[in-house]
Amino acid sequence: MNNAKLTNTEDGATRWAMRCLILIPLAGLSAALAGCIQVKAPDKPIEINLNVNVKQEVLVRLQRDAEEIIQDNPELFPK
Amino acid sequence: MTKQGKIILMAGIALVAALGVTRVAQAQSAPVSAALADATVGEKADGYLGIRGSVAANVRAEVESINIKRRAAYTQRAAARGVSVEAVAAATGCKTLSAVAAGRAYQLDDGVWRVRGAGDPAPVPGNCPAV
Repeated sequence: MNNAKLTNTEDGATRWAMRCLILIPLAGLSAALAGCIQVKAPDKPIEINLNVNVKQEVLVRLQRDAEEIIQDNPELFPK
Repeated sequence: MTKQGKIILMAGIALVAALGVTRVAQAQSAPVSAALADATVGEKADGYLGIRGSVAANVRAEVESINIKRRAAYTQRAAARGVSVEAVAAATGCKTLSAVAAGRAYQLDDGVWRVRGAGDPAPVPGNCPAV
C-alpha cells in the first residue's frame, strides 16, 4: 500500500524521504534520552571496605606463626 | 656416705624440686582450666581469653595474666613479621577457636558468647581460613 502510494504520487517518494531525514535525528534524540542511564550523585560518600579482604590474606599468611606461638607457649593456652 | 649414695641423694633432691615446680605451674593454670571446662571462661576470636559471666577473683587474675603474656608473644611475632599485633592475635584466634571442644565457650567477632554443641562444626571467625 505504502509502496504504491510512494511510487504513484508525484514527488511523493522524495518528500517522504525528506520527511524521514528530518524525523530520524528527532527520533534518535528522544531514543537516546529515554535510553540514558540516569546517574545521580549519592548523598553519602562511597565507602569501600578493603579491611576484610586484606585482613583475611594476612590471617592466612600468619597461620603457621599462630601454630608456633601456641606450641611454644603451652602454659598460655590451657586446655 | 659413699659416692654412689651421694649421687642418689642428689638425684632425689633434684626430682623432688622438679616435681614441686611442675605442681606450682599446674596450680597456676588449674583454676582457668576448670573455668574453661565449665564454660565461664572461653577463647575469643581476637586471640585472647575472655570471661563469660562471673568468675572467682583468682580466675580473673589468671585470665588477665595469661592475656598479658599472650600479648607479649603476639607483639614479638608481629614485630618479626612486620604486621600488626592484632593480626597475629586474630590469626591465633583462628587456631584456638577451631580447637574449642564441645561444651566449651567461645566468642566470635560479633562479641556474642556461644557454647559449642556436641555435633556442632568447629567455630570459624569471620576472616579466618576454613579449617
